[in-house]
Amino acid sequence: MPDRANPVDPPDLGLLPTFRRLLRLWWAERRLGLLGLALAFCYTLISIAIPLISQRAIDDSIVSHENPLWPYVMAIAALATLRFVVNFSRRFATARIGIRIEARMRELLYTAYLRFPRAFYDRHATGQVLSRATNDLYPIRYFIGWGLVQGMQSVMMIIGAAIVLVLVDPQLALYTAVAMPPITVLALRFARRVSPLSRRVQERKGDVTETADEAVVGIEMVQAFGREDDVRGRFGTRAEAVRDTVLEQAGVEARHLPGLYYLPSLSIAAVVYFGGKAVINGELSIGQFVLFETLLLQLVWPLEALGWITNLAQRALASAGRSFAWLEGIAPLPEPESPVHLPRGPIDVRFEDVYFAYGGENDVLEGVDLEIAAGEIVAICGPTGSGKTSLLNLLPRFYDPTGGRVRIGGVDTRDTTIAELRTDVALVTQRPVLFSVTLRENLLFGQETASWDEVLAACEAAGVDAFADDLPEGYDTLIGERGVNLSGGQRQRVALARALVTGARVVVLDDPLSAVDTLTERRLVKRLRPALEGKTVLIATQRLSTIELAGRAVVLRDGRVIESGRPVDLIRAGGAFAELFGDEVVAA
Amino acid sequence: MRRLGRYLQGRKLWLAALLLVGTGNAAAQTGGWLLVRNAIDKGIRDGNEHHLTVVVVIYLCVAAAGWLLQAVLIRGLAGLGQRMVLGLRRDLFDHLTGLSLRYFSQQKAGWIIARLTSDVDAVSDVLSQGLPTLVANVILLPTAVIALLIADWRLGLVVFGVVPPTLILTRWFQKASHVAQVETRNRIAIVTAQIAESVAGMAVVQAFNRERTFQAQFDGLNAANREQNVYTQKIFSVFFPSIEFLGVVATCAVLFAGNSLLSSRLLTIGTLITALYLLQLVFQPLQELSDVYGQLQSGAAAMVKIATVLDEEPEIREARDARELPRIEGDLDLDHVVFAYGAEPVLHGVAIHVPPGGCLALVGESGGGKSTLARLVGRFYDPDRGAVRVDGVDLRDVKLRSYRRQLGVVLQDPFLFSGTIASNIRFAKPDATDEEVEAAAAAVGVDRVAARLSGGLEHAVREGGSGLSAGERQLISLARALLADPRILILDEATSNIDRPTEVLIERALDRLLHGRTSIIIAHRLSTVRRADEIVVIEHGRIVQRGTEAELLREEGSFRRLAHDLAEGETARVA
Repeated sequence: MPDRANPVDPPDLGLLPTFRRLLRLWWAERRLGLLGLALAFCYTLISIAIPLISQRAIDDSIVSHENPLWPYVMAIAALATLRFVVNFSRRFATARIGIRIEARMRELLYTAYLRFPRAFYDRHATGQVLSRATNDLYPIRYFIGWGLVQGMQSVMMIIGAAIVLVLVDPQLALYTAVAMPPITVLALRFARRVSPLSRRVQERKGDVTETADEAVVGIEMVQAFGREDDVRGRFGTRAEAVRDTVLEQAGVEARHLPGLYYLPSLSIAAVVYFGGKAVINGELSIGQFVLFETLLLQLVWPLEALGWITNLAQRALASAGRSFAWLEGIAPLPEPESPVHLPRGPIDVRFEDVYFAYGGENDVLEGVDLEIAAGEIVAICGPTGSGKTSLLNLLPRFYDPTGGRVRIGGVDTRDTTIAELRTDVALVTQRPVLFSVTLRENLLFGQETASWDEVLAACEAAGVDAFADDLPEGYDTLIGERGVNLSGGQRQRVALARALVTGARVVVLDDPLSAVDTLTERRLVKRLRPALEGKTVLIATQRLSTIELAGRAVVLRDGRVIESGRPVDLIRAGGAFAELFGDEVVAA
Repeated sequence: MRRLGRYLQGRKLWLAALLLVGTGNAAAQTGGWLLVRNAIDKGIRDGNEHHLTVVVVIYLCVAAAGWLLQAVLIRGLAGLGQRMVLGLRRDLFDHLTGLSLRYFSQQKAGWIIARLTSDVDAVSDVLSQGLPTLVANVILLPTAVIALLIADWRLGLVVFGVVPPTLILTRWFQKASHVAQVETRNRIAIVTAQIAESVAGMAVVQAFNRERTFQAQFDGLNAANREQNVYTQKIFSVFFPSIEFLGVVATCAVLFAGNSLLSSRLLTIGTLITALYLLQLVFQPLQELSDVYGQLQSGAAAMVKIATVLDEEPEIREARDARELPRIEGDLDLDHVVFAYGAEPVLHGVAIHVPPGGCLALVGESGGGKSTLARLVGRFYDPDRGAVRVDGVDLRDVKLRSYRRQLGVVLQDPFLFSGTIASNIRFAKPDATDEEVEAAAAAVGVDRVAARLSGGLEHAVREGGSGLSAGERQLISLARALLADPRILILDEATSNIDRPTEVLIERALDRLLHGRTSIIIAHRLSTVRRADEIVVIEHGRIVQRGTEAELLREEGSFRRLAHDLAEGETARVA
C-alpha cells in the first residue's frame, strides 16, 4: 500500500515548481514588492555614498584643512535621514508582503481543508493538518517578508562596494578580498549544515509534543494505574533527545559563527598592512584607507545574511512544497457536471452491490445490496468491525463506494450536488462532535433558520430538555473547553437533536445512544419514534433496546448483508441476529 | 527567572568561567581596533613599515584568540541553557502528571500541552539563541565604551550625548513591541483554535454543509491576525532604521569633535578613525540586544505561564508521613462521604462498606454521582468530608502510587496510547511477558479483534485509538486491567459499547477478573449488575436503596422500577 501513490497523501512539490508558485503569490503583491526592491536599491546607494562622503571629509577637510567640515557633515546627516525613511519604508513594505502571503496561504489551506474528503482526515493527524496552516507557514513569511529582498539587497551591496573599492585601488581591493571567499564558503556551509539540524530539532520537539499530548489526554489512565514514572521516563528520554539535537546544532554554530565574525579581521589586517604601506608611499590617502575599512565592514552582514537566507529559503520552500502538494494534489470529492435534484416527498435509500475499501486496504464492504423504503426505519446490526459505520458513511458521501452505487430517491449520490445531498442526509456520528459555541447555536448548527419551537421539539425527542435547564445559562450555556463539558451521553443527545432540527429526510444514526444510560435510552426510544415519523432512517447499534425503534433489522457480517427481516422473525429464525441478541430476549 | 537559576546549581563556576571567556571575546573585538589605531599612528603616520608589520601580526593573533573564545562561549552557553530547559521541561511534566483530575477537567488539554511545548520552546529559544547574544553584547557594550574612553576620553564623552536618546528609543521599542507581540500571540492563538476545532469537527462541518460559515469565521480571524502582524511589523520597521540613524548622528558628532581636537593637536588621526569604528561596536550591541529583547519577552511571558502550572498545588497531596501500602486485602469503606465539584455537593454523606473480594454494583440514573463515587475510591479526588478507607487505612495517609498500583480502572471511553495493541495491554505492567499479554488478550477476546487486523497484537494503534471502534478499545482496556492484576477493580460502564456476543464473552471473563478482588461496577445491564454481592441505588448523591438483587426486587422502590425498565430495555418487545 505505501508504494502506491496515495490520493490523499501526494508527494511534496520540488523546489522549482514550489518557487514558481510562491513567485505567483508574490506577484499578486507586486506593487509592494517592486517598491521594496526599488527602496532596497536606494538604500544600497545611500549606504555606499555615506562612506564616500566621509572619505572626502577626512581627506579634504580634517587632514588637509582645504574645506570646512560642516558641508560634509550636513550631507551625511541629510543622507542618513533619507536612509532612515527609505529603510523604514523598505522593511515595512516587504514585511507586509510576507504577512499577506502567510495569511493568503493559510486561507488557501483552510478553504481546501473544508473541501478535503474524509479519507484525507483518516490519513493525517489533526496536529499535522493544524501545523501546516500555522507554524509551518512562518518560514514562508520570513523568507518572503525578509529574506527575498534582503538577499537581493545583499547582492546589490556586495556589487556596489566591490565597484567602489576597485575604482579606488584595484590592487588593494584584490588583497582585501582575501576574506570574502572564506566568509561566503563558511556562510553557505553553515546554512547547509544547520538546516537539517534545525529540522531535526523540530521533529524531536514534535515527539515531545506527542508524548505530552498523550499523557495529558490519557492522564486518568496514567494515574489510575500509577504509571506516572513510565510516562515521565518516556517524556524525559524525548526531552533529552531535543537537548542533544539542540546542542548538536550549537556545536555547528560554534564552529561557524565565530569564523563569520572574525574572518573580516583578515581583510582589515590586509587594509592596514597593504593600505598602510600605500599610504606611507603616498599612493593612498588616509581617507581612502578609512573608506576601504568602512566598506569592508559594511560587507560582512550582507555576506552573512546570504547564508541565513539560503537556509531560510530551503526551509520555506520545503514547507511551501508540502502545502502546495496538498493544495493541488488532493482532489475534493468530484461534483457532477449536470447535477440532478432529489425528488420531493419521502425518499428511499438503496445500496446496489456496494463495495468499499479504505485507501488501498482490504474491502470492508463486499457487495452490499439493501433497499430501505421511504419512511422505513432500519437497524444495521453486526459485530464490531463488520462495516456498519463504513456503510453509513457512504450516505452523506463521506466516501464514494469503490464498486456499485448508492441511490437516494433513485438518484445516485454522485449525481446530485454534495450540498443538496447533505441537506437531506442528517448524520449523528459515533463520537459526537460539538462546537465551542452555545448549546443553542450547536442545536441550530444544521439549520440556522429553524424556529425555536422546532428546536424544542427536537430537544424533547432527543432528551436534551432533561438537562438543558439545569445548565448554568440554559440553552445559552457555552459548550466545550471554554464552557461546560457535557458528559458523553449528553453530547450524544445534543448531536441527535441537532440532526433532528435539520429536517433532513434521511437520518443516519451511528450508534447514537451508546453513551446514554439504558434508562434514559428507554425513554428516548419511546419519544424518538414519533419524531422520526416519515423519515427514512438507518441506525447502527449494538443494543437491542435501540433496535426497537426499527421496523426491520439487517445483519452485516464481513461486509455483506446476511440477514434481513423483522427483529421478531429474525430471533425466531435463530440465525446471526439471534446469535447477536438472542439471549437478551430469552431473559424476558 | 529564579526558577531557572535552580537548574544551574553546581555549574556556577562554569558559568563564571564562561563570563570570563565572554569578556575575553569582547576585549579581543575592541582591542583589535586599539591595535589599528597604533598601526595608523605609529606605523603609517611615522612611515615605520616594520612597526606596521608587527602590529598587524599581533592584530591577527588577537582575532584568532577571539575566534576561539567565541566558539567556546557559544557552545558553553548552549550547554548551560539546555541543561536548564531540560530540567524545566522534566519538572513541569512531573508536576503536571502529579496534578489531580480536577485540574485536567477544568483546564483544557490544549492549554496544558502548550505550556509543555510552545512555552518551554520559547524559553529554550531564549536560552540557546538569545543567551549567547545577550551575554556577548551585555559584555561588549561597556567594553566598547571603555575602549572608546581609553582611545580618547573627550571623544568618548560624545557617546554619552547619543546614548540617552538611544536608550529612550530602545525603551519605547521594548514597551511598544511587547504590547504588540502579546496581542499578536493572542490573535494567532485564536486563529489556531478555530482551525483546530474545524479540523477536529470536520466530519460534522461537512455533513451539515457549514463550510461557508466556517470559512467566513476564519476569514475574519485571519484578517484580524494579519492586521495585527502588520502593526507589529511597523514598530519593528521603525526601530532598526532609527538605531542606524542615531549611529550616523554619533559618527557626525565624532567627526566634528575630532576635527577641532585634531586642529588643536590634541588628537591623532588614528585615534579619530578608531573612534569611528569603536562607535559602531557601541551601537551594534544595542541593535542586537533589541533583537534578543523580543525573544526575552516571549520567553518571560512563557515562563509566567509555566509558573502558573508549577504553582498549581496538587490537590491530592501525599501527606508527609504517608506510608507505603502493602498488598491490600481489599476491604473498602466509604465513611459518610461528602463531595462537591463546585458549590453544589454531588455526594451527600454516602456510606458503603465492601468486604475483601466483594463486588458492589452502583446503579441509578446518569448524573446521580456514581462515577464520582468511583473516582473517590481511586483517590482521584479527596472527599470534602468523611473518609475513604482501604483495609482500615484512610487513603489520605498512604503513598498514592503504592495504592494505585493495586487499582484497576476501566472507563466507558477508554484512552489508548500510540504504540501497538500489545503495548497498550502492557501499559499497566511494563515487565509482563509476551505470554502474559497474549493470555490477557485471549481472556477478554482481544485476540479475536487482533486477528482481523494486520500485525495482530502488534497492530499499530494511533494516538487516542482512532481506527479502532469504541468496542475494540474497551476490550483492549479490559485486557489492560486484567494484566495489571489489581486488588481493587473499578468498571465504569465498561461494556456499554460492546456487541452482545462479545459482551457475553466478557461477562465470562469478568467472572475470572472479579474473582478474589474487590470490585465496584457501574452498569446498566441487569446481567452485569446481578453478579454483585450488594447493589446500591444512588439518586441525587444519596443512597436510596441497597441490598441483593432478590431483596431489592422484593421491596417497592427505585430498583424495582429500574429493574423493570432495565429488563424491558434488554429484552425488548421485538414482537
